[in-house]
Amino acid sequence: MSKPRGFKVLIATTRVPFIDGGAELHAEGLQRALREAGNRAEILFIPFKWYPPERILDQMLACRLLGGREADCLIGLKFPAYLMPHPRKVVWLLHQHRQAYELWQHPMGDMHAYTNGAAVRQAIQYADRELLPQARRLFANSRNVAARLRTYCGLEAEPLYHPPPDARNLHSGAAEDFLYFPSRINPLKRQHLAMEALAQTRTNVRVCFSGPGVEPGYDQTCLALARKLKLQNRVEWLGSVSFETKRDLYARSLGVLYPPLDEDYGYVTLEAMLAAKPVITCEDSGGPLEFVLDRQTGLISAPTPEALAAAMDELWENRTAAREWGAAGRDRYSSLHIGWDHVLEKLLP
Amino acid sequence: MKVLIATSGAPFIRGGAEILAESLCDAVNAAGHEAEIVTLPFESWPPSRIPEQMLACRLLDVTESCGQTIDRVIALKFPAYLIPHPYKVIWMLHQHRTAYELWDHPVAGDLIQHPDGPMVREAIRQADRTLLPEAKAIYTLSRNVSGRLGRFTGIEAEPLYNPPAHAALYHPGPAGDYLFFPSRITPVKRQWLVIRALGLCREPVEVYFAGEADNPAQQAECTRAERELNLTGRVTWLGLVSEEQKREHYAHSLGVVFPPLDEDYGYVTLEAMLSSKPVITCADSGGPLEFVVHNETGLIADPSSESLATAMDALWADRRHAATMGEVGRQRYQDLKISWNNVVEKLLC
Repeated sequence: MSKPRGFKVLIATTRVPFIDGGAELHAEGLQRALREAGNRAEILFIPFKWYPPERILDQMLACRLLGGREADCLIGLKFPAYLMPHPRKVVWLLHQHRQAYELWQHPMGDMHAYTNGAAVRQAIQYADRELLPQARRLFANSRNVAARLRTYCGLEAEPLYHPPPDARNLHSGAAEDFLYFPSRINPLKRQHLAMEALAQTRTNVRVCFSGPGVEPGYDQTCLALARKLKLQNRVEWLGSVSFETKRDLYARSLGVLYPPLDEDYGYVTLEAMLAAKPVITCEDSGGPLEFVLDRQTGLISAPTPEALAAAMDELWENRTAAREWGAAGRDRYSSLHIGWDHVLEKLLP
Repeated sequence: MKVLIATSGAPFIRGGAEILAESLCDAVNAAGHEAEIVTLPFESWPPSRIPEQMLACRLLDVTESCGQTIDRVIALKFPAYLIPHPYKVIWMLHQHRTAYELWDHPVAGDLIQHPDGPMVREAIRQADRTLLPEAKAIYTLSRNVSGRLGRFTGIEAEPLYNPPAHAALYHPGPAGDYLFFPSRITPVKRQWLVIRALGLCREPVEVYFAGEADNPAQQAECTRAERELNLTGRVTWLGLVSEEQKREHYAHSLGVVFPPLDEDYGYVTLEAMLSSKPVITCADSGGPLEFVVHNETGLIADPSSESLATAMDALWADRRHAATMGEVGRQRYQDLKISWNNVVEKLLC
């Protein structure tokens, strides 16, 4: 590290109480990296509830009223916590409030269904456009997030990648007879699409799903779909698993299936690459497309059950290609120089 | 039950309140519930920041987490205890003290020194009077805190004692040649008073101070006083020590000196009792007076350097009496039946 040590750094982010996801791991990874580099770092988790829409405005104001001038630097990650004022603020955008942007009038969003939805959306967009430029520097979690910010707000942010939480411990192993799909069980991650595709495969592809079910009902929907499509023997549904189990599943998988809708960044892609496994993703999956090279480190399919099924069949039948693409993925990860040292160089004053 | 523990704190400062919140969280989880802490950043200067942050707390919405009810909020500190929730229970660690009993205190009083002070004090008092009664129940940390709340706000609240963290690990040990004073180094803990008292001691009393200064200036002031009074060799600044080191310092001390100004509760007293050590405290020290019995489990001095010096000399000169008082203190702790089970039962009933 060439930077001087001993900064007091506040990480400002938003949290839905009792729900853990990638965002929490990101904030904690950043905190750990800052501490290991000799700084003091604390995370401010501001509780967030996005419904009904007018509550969002209250919480935006709350963030404007909170602060931490004591700190040498404040790093804002998530809406609306990144609106918190600080004289030395850097924003490292995880994502904006997606329902006010790319998920507006999208079946996955619901803000547009409220009578005041449009007004709240306008207020969010206005706040982002006016207040994000108050940061000294603007970074984004990925090229995808930077591109959305440019499209919707006309603001430039530099993409800044960081390693997944368990990067140091992931390893490869001999491929067994299953594809692995680790993720929170959530409509945006599209476990249902994976089920529908599975029903259309020619070969006897098996998929192992893991991840916490946070969206009430969606996990049941997926399981009902598996029953309806008679996939019980080809689907393994593990729920939440430990880091150890997840590592082991990555290592033993034939490849990783990861077809989310417009993912911001997506640790899964990077974890698969670290485990030397090929990744099947979709053309509209966002973040994963910054890493997966079609037919070099994985397969990029159209977001339809038929196309996804064809990709799954191909990987299932062509084990040599699967192995080679996996190894090429790991090489590609190394060539990208994704590391916390680099992140801190960029973020610290 | 999903239980959210809400508290406020200055970022980068870790004291009794932070430890208490974590212990409470562990205890609620251990009782089979799902608990989580939300800590809101709090800046007390300039005074105009205080009403802003009170408003921020009123604007937050912690009624649900992703569609699921948050069953209970346990709020600990101002202004976090103002967060609205239909099933909020307050376990008050303290109100904003410089708007109340410390308003015109020569050392601690800060609001009084600012032109906005009187207005902000009124806003705080008004909010407490109006909004505290929203809670389903109000408990406090100690009789001292209940007393203040009753005196200033007219609200009755039952004190609910809690054990220090890792209470079971404290143990007696052979008395060495020092008095122990573990605490954050800050004016209200009155390390400065102990330094001045040391200058007046007739016995060659030595004191070990453990803990970090809130800011370097406060440490510098103490060290300067130490030099001016020629106390070289009689004062040891240990800085931040681990929990294990702290327990060893307790175990090998002759006794504990803990003369804070109007302490809310004070784990130090209880930790000393668990280590079978007598406690020297002052007549205006607040919380410790609920536990220390003069001449039976320790000594209660006047808050003057002369009186404190006399008490320190007395302990130093009569080691047998010191050992006896320590033993009686340990017995008294056992008799009080202080436990987390009791705390959790009351807060969640």
